[in-house]
Amino acid sequence: MRIAEHPILEFKRENPHTFAFEGVEVEAFEGESLAAALWAKGVRGLRRVSWGVLGPFCMIGYCSGCLVEVDGRRTRACLEPSRPGLRVGRIGDYVPRLAAEQPGKAEELEVDVMVVGSGPAGLSAAIVSGESGLDVHVFERHFRPGGQLVKQTHKFFGSGELFGGLRGFQIAERLVSRAREVGVRIHTRAPVLGYFKEGFFAVSEGERLLLVKPRAVVVSTGAVERLLPFPGNYLPGVMGAGAAQTLMNEYGVKPGERAVVVGAGNVGLIVSYQLLQAGVRVLAVVEVMPEIGGWLVHAAKIRRLGVPILTRHTVVRAEGGEQLERVVVAAVDERMEPVPGTEKVFDADLLLLSVGLTPESRLLAQMGARMVWSPELGGYVPYRSEYMETSIPGVYVAGDASGIEEATTAILTGRVAGYSAAVRLLGPRRDLLEKREEALRLLREARRTPFSARVVRGLERVIVRVAQ
Amino acid sequence: MRAEVVVVGGGITGVAVAYFLAERGFERVVVFERSYLGSGSTFKCAGGIRASFTSREHIVLMKRSIELWGELSRRLGIKYARSGYLWLASREEDLERLKRYSSIHNQFGVSTRFVEPGEVEEMAPALDTSRLVGALYDPLAGKASPFDAVHKLYLASREMGVEYRFEEVGKILVEGGAARGVASSGGITEAESVVVAAGVWSRQLLEPLGVSLPVEPEPHHAALTEEYGRLFDPLIIDLESGAYAVQTFHGHVLMGVEIPEQPSWEPGERLAFLSKVVRVWSKWLPWLPSANILRYWVGHYEVTPDHHPVLGPVGSIENLFVATGFSGHGFMMGPVVGEELASWVASGAPRTEEAAHLTLRRFEEGRLIKELAVIG
Repeated sequence: MRIAEHPILEFKRENPHTFAFEGVEVEAFEGESLAAALWAKGVRGLRRVSWGVLGPFCMIGYCSGCLVEVDGRRTRACLEPSRPGLRVGRIGDYVPRLAAEQPGKAEELEVDVMVVGSGPAGLSAAIVSGESGLDVHVFERHFRPGGQLVKQTHKFFGSGELFGGLRGFQIAERLVSRAREVGVRIHTRAPVLGYFKEGFFAVSEGERLLLVKPRAVVVSTGAVERLLPFPGNYLPGVMGAGAAQTLMNEYGVKPGERAVVVGAGNVGLIVSYQLLQAGVRVLAVVEVMPEIGGWLVHAAKIRRLGVPILTRHTVVRAEGGEQLERVVVAAVDERMEPVPGTEKVFDADLLLLSVGLTPESRLLAQMGARMVWSPELGGYVPYRSEYMETSIPGVYVAGDASGIEEATTAILTGRVAGYSAAVRLLGPRRDLLEKREEALRLLREARRTPFSARVVRGLERVIVRVAQ
Repeated sequence: MRAEVVVVGGGITGVAVAYFLAERGFERVVVFERSYLGSGSTFKCAGGIRASFTSREHIVLMKRSIELWGELSRRLGIKYARSGYLWLASREEDLERLKRYSSIHNQFGVSTRFVEPGEVEEMAPALDTSRLVGALYDPLAGKASPFDAVHKLYLASREMGVEYRFEEVGKILVEGGAARGVASSGGITEAESVVVAAGVWSRQLLEPLGVSLPVEPEPHHAALTEEYGRLFDPLIIDLESGAYAVQTFHGHVLMGVEIPEQPSWEPGERLAFLSKVVRVWSKWLPWLPSANILRYWVGHYEVTPDHHPVLGPVGSIENLFVATGFSGHGFMMGPVVGEELASWVASGAPRTEEAAHLTLRRFEEGRLIKELAVIG
């Protein structure tokens, strides 16, 4: 179902068309992913495997719950823009039958700065390197740039310099247009496959393979939502909180009718409010800790609207046949183990997991950057200098890929990384150094909230100080 | 606690040695692994298992290993299938080579046989046979899941009392010409015997003791496609290039081929590998260029001059044993090596004469073993 009215968002819905899914016509609009259009049509289970039916979990290209066959090729439905006349089907027990196509073409591309990922961190890095006069190319595997800002509907805090007062999707629009203005080339549908010892990054763009040889690299690949282990967690309708945001805030598709949200951190609380705005009933927010983790203003907002927040509770299983039908939660004891006899059953068709994110740092690991496990920063992150340079000279990291924080710090670490790349390529120009110091100052300020204390502790272990 | 045996390395060899030691009644066996089990070479391998080699040592040991794979699979539920190996020739000269191999196999009781295109199509429905000149089938061969094998051996050995410590061993302690234990990141562990099963890294552990292992870290590359339905049952080998491909239990196609490489401790991914492996296999699997490659990784073969492992006692130091140098065959040999090393540690002697041929001494004495069929 599509959202007809929304208090904040207006959905454009241009160029209506149809594609076929398993022979059935599905309505879609320009700029929609196949996954969103299918969800709007009510198609939940996209994959059948020997032990059940799977649906999308992340909606941004990490899980394989939305893997489908499109015109004879397998692809993730969330990364595929809808076009008229596509033939889409379940992959099932598929045996490939396509004969060899023409050998692909490979082209070399030499660039000053290569930015991997077009979220707030990547675009900010690209903008400041672009402003310095460098030839900057951003590679994004999705069909639209902006990363996860595009689904943020709340207004950001902070000064105008940091887009205070704007909503996330508006910030994304500004970053994208500013990047283009300063000559940054943004390649969409262009996943970076990896770094190869021959001395280039391979990027798949359309029918060609780009062999990119950059003089500096910024890795700003973002983060992945965490899954919880419990029976039935694969059922269509169990998804990350961010996946529901993608559906409702980016595409205007109602993710479900009756939802249970796991995790009362800021994301869980905000997404619960956004569900209510989209017309979804929120049956409960479940939090395993004794206290609500997020800002109390967010909690108060959803409580006023009658949503119970069950602290010291966890989800014990999800039930359903072809899709989620029931969620069973239970109270936990001091050891976080479910207490028998305390189960509550919710008739829900949507179970959102908002239990944290893990940095997507695999490209850096593959390149051989020195990595470290940091619980405070959400997982494996690269060691870096305070100027965001990793253990590989000329390779920088920014945003959630360097440790889980939020969009404002992503913008700032992106600027630091972008200026560092510029300093490397253009020399220690005073204006660049000053602007970088300013970005670092804003970054320190942004980390002064109580929620940053843990991050700051984590950073102390991963930042390797270097002499100027 | 003083251990009876310390095993250094938690790959297939280490967990198998620990399993067979425990089965023999050793009660204080400690396995050290610096990362996670299987993280060295085991989880990077294709999982193929065969006895169709061309040396007596390989054939005899692998025949026993295959018996053990069957037993372990029944007892522990390891994913293992006797799904065969199929050697594919597209040139007359490769066919001649296959005939020579086959006669050696048959001489040692491994019944490889030539199969007609019709039979090839039955066992490998996704294979294009239009360029097939001849195919040799080894029905005794098969495959196992490296993940499942290590996991189940770990669980079973732990059940029998083996202790696993996730610490890096920095040093093997030797006193009065005999191994006395190991020093790890967690401290010192004394032991009556030490078994070094640390893959190519065994060389670095033994070097400070004046023991020079003739093993080289040879980079080998492998790639994995997305999952498919049934494509081909046996592991397939293209004679012309030496490339192999196997369909895993999950349905992915895992494939490898050699590219020019120098020994290296820190190998890296090369696009040249991906283009070669897809090009080579397109001859037999013409749909391959349209497949998605999910993963690509580089690992090591720890290669000896004669492509046979180094097993058993390290002559100069008492109570010190080694199991490495498998040259690409360590996974398939895991069970028999576990059994032989357990025998060596327990009784001072291996079970078979063939294992006894494989000690480090053969390099000192210049009695290298000849093996013709090394692949991928």
